[in-house]
Amino acid sequence: MTATENPPTKYKYIGTRPIRHDGYDKVTGKARFAADKDLPGQLRGSFLRSPHAHARIVSIDTSAALIMAGVKAIVTGADFPTLDVKNPSHDIAVNLMARDVVYYNGHAVACVAATTKPEADAAAAAIVVEYELLPAILTIDESLAEGAPLVNDNNMTKFVESDGPSNLATVTELGRGDVDEAFAAADLVIEREFDTADVHQGYIEPHACIVDVGLDGRADIWASSQGHFKVRALTAATLGWDTARIKVTPAEIGGGFGGKTTIYLEPVAARLSEISGRPVKIVMSRDEVLRATGPAPSSKSRVKIGATNDGELTVMEASLAYGVGPFGDMAGLVGAMSIASYKMPNLKLHSVGALTNTPKTAAYRAPSAPHAAFAVESVIDDVAQALDMDPIDLRLKNAAVEGDLTAMGMPHPKIGFIECLEAMADSDHYKSPVPEGAARGLGTGFWFNIGEQSSATVNLNEDGTATVITGSPDIGGSRASMALMAAETLGIDVYKITPVVADTESVGFTDVTEGSRATFATGMAVVHACRELIEELKTRAAKMMEVEVDTVSWVDGAAVSDGKDPVSLAAITAKAKRTGGPLTATGSLTAAGAGPSFAVHCCDLAVDEETGQVTILRYTAVQDAGTAIHPSYVEGQMQGGSVQGIGWALNEEYIFDTDGALENASFLDYRVPVASDLPMIETIIVEVPNPSHPYGVRGVGETGIVPPMATIANAIQRATGTRMTSLPMSPPKILAALNEA
Amino acid sequence: MPRAHLMTDHRRFTDGEAVIEVDGATVGAVIGELERRFPGLGEVLTHASSAGVDGEIHAEPEYLEVGPDTDIYFVAPLAGG
Repeated sequence: MTATENPPTKYKYIGTRPIRHDGYDKVTGKARFAADKDLPGQLRGSFLRSPHAHARIVSIDTSAALIMAGVKAIVTGADFPTLDVKNPSHDIAVNLMARDVVYYNGHAVACVAATTKPEADAAAAAIVVEYELLPAILTIDESLAEGAPLVNDNNMTKFVESDGPSNLATVTELGRGDVDEAFAAADLVIEREFDTADVHQGYIEPHACIVDVGLDGRADIWASSQGHFKVRALTAATLGWDTARIKVTPAEIGGGFGGKTTIYLEPVAARLSEISGRPVKIVMSRDEVLRATGPAPSSKSRVKIGATNDGELTVMEASLAYGVGPFGDMAGLVGAMSIASYKMPNLKLHSVGALTNTPKTAAYRAPSAPHAAFAVESVIDDVAQALDMDPIDLRLKNAAVEGDLTAMGMPHPKIGFIECLEAMADSDHYKSPVPEGAARGLGTGFWFNIGEQSSATVNLNEDGTATVITGSPDIGGSRASMALMAAETLGIDVYKITPVVADTESVGFTDVTEGSRATFATGMAVVHACRELIEELKTRAAKMMEVEVDTVSWVDGAAVSDGKDPVSLAAITAKAKRTGGPLTATGSLTAAGAGPSFAVHCCDLAVDEETGQVTILRYTAVQDAGTAIHPSYVEGQMQGGSVQGIGWALNEEYIFDTDGALENASFLDYRVPVASDLPMIETIIVEVPNPSHPYGVRGVGETGIVPPMATIANAIQRATGTRMTSLPMSPPKILAALNEA
Repeated sequence: MPRAHLMTDHRRFTDGEAVIEVDGATVGAVIGELERRFPGLGEVLTHASSAGVDGEIHAEPEYLEVGPDTDIYFVAPLAGG
């Protein structure tokens, strides 16, 4: 890793790089992931999944399977409540176990609990299902075709008046100005069409859980997720249970990237446990992860941009279509909003989500933005080349700043796009000559980020150490970040703080970790709790110093009052029993003001024109973190997003056969980048503090995946003279494009 | 009065009008008044919108207080990965 050297900051702990509190456990293998958990008497679960992309279930015969060795329970759709189609959890309930229709190849049809996994597998294979095949829609074009068969009879288009079921999940129109007039006045107009394939988040840890339902009907769940309160809520909703019946303990998580913001297993394991009276453990295989959990959607787009000869981007018209799988999804809506980096006075965006008989899509780091940025940033690079402008200069001339309108019409708050562009222009990479035989590409991206609800409890121990308890799973080093913010606020060493991720019965409600919200919102809750503690510490210290409390201030971890010796936090906690009892405080809030984060990426690459192979020679990511609480984990997010984006750009794609079966459902055939494929990703953290956070935090987890596809496409274009408009830009596609050129 | 700024999608209820002055002390009250004047719009804003106020986006803004000079930007609900 290339560690960015940050200049000294005004903070004592924030911006430092302590070893993460869970680091030793993770490195030594002591950390417990969901699949590591076992309970006495547990059963193992195994799914039977649909071999068809779209079919009506005529009958399911489990009689032979039920009498097989080791089998204790079998569930099908009939074992789950039928939710009203308007229930927000309806689609998730149907996705985790099919009812009368299977909507994609891999859709769960039944699940067996048996004494061993081989016994469960054998019994699942012995279940007899009779299907009536229905027309399957596998592509966006098929979905949007006039008179196309319905993918899902229950889907009604959101946000528009609708007179019946449709293959459209959403239809979104956004705009401002007069695009027709602006195109007529433009000196240069460039228009291109793009497409991208379904891609998976590719987290290393498959979905896993173990559920134990007791005789009292209460369920203990251990699961890997991005939010155990959401696991609890969705499990309760899909089973029709009270939330209070369910306790979810978060396991360590081996990657999620948006894909673990929903559930696939827990209600199924709960019903099997309820029926069998035994704990039930289910661990997905990689094949199941790829076939039956949510990839990011495919897309097709058309982007047309107009500019003046001096490089002012005056107008953009874009249409975006996302293939979202068989259930309603917000991809189209969010995709339309994700174009906000430029002032662009005239704008017209049309976006749809198109249903397909492919796996239900899920969030993937800045969901829907990478598709849009690939198209827009590619055309902008064409504009830069047509005008013979440096790609950074063109963007600097048009970059959005505070007060400029987003595509939604709302003005940007304080943002750092200009600062990111300037940092890239000043980077060693950008100032270095392009290596011989290589070419350089540049791309940018942004993500909104969100706030939502978080809770934190801070307990001060009798020796002056502290425990910080939160409900956000530690996905990217958040334990260390929470400890750093608590250390900074309280004024005690970060290693005197133990950060804990607590179960759903041991900490206040906390929303799922999405929208890069954990360090921002949960961190804010930690700071609120610490500030409340400081007020109480000052009150206790006033008693100890025999002064009025309003004469006491908190300075560097101690109570200070004129004419008195400072009283340290440890001295106050030592006398807590005599001054009022235990020192504990809770912060619970709905966080608003999540600051958007911008990124600028640069890539040097070489293209082998005989094989189509692309070799990444150098890659630099610049991103605005607001304030980098723990710079190493900010850099890790930037590097992770970059590498996933590089995989999306060059290799990754779902390949379906004509019947909708996924042909590359393994990591051998679904090729994600590995360390030996890439150079070290260089990082430059820009810090334009978010005024809505006590320490200026912006979320950093998602933006990094937005720029890579266009960055690489732009470099390939400059290397070969050929504009690649279809992802992935795999060797066969590059060869075909070069041969066609 | 507070000013409600509507996304393009919402303007089908208002004959294309993008900015509407609406009386109300909270975002919820503003939505209620918009529903009274433009039937159907209130439901969309309640169930399919967030509100941007003073540079901050609020996911469920019903009880958020607004003043006579507040600009309320109704935007699509955001999620993330």
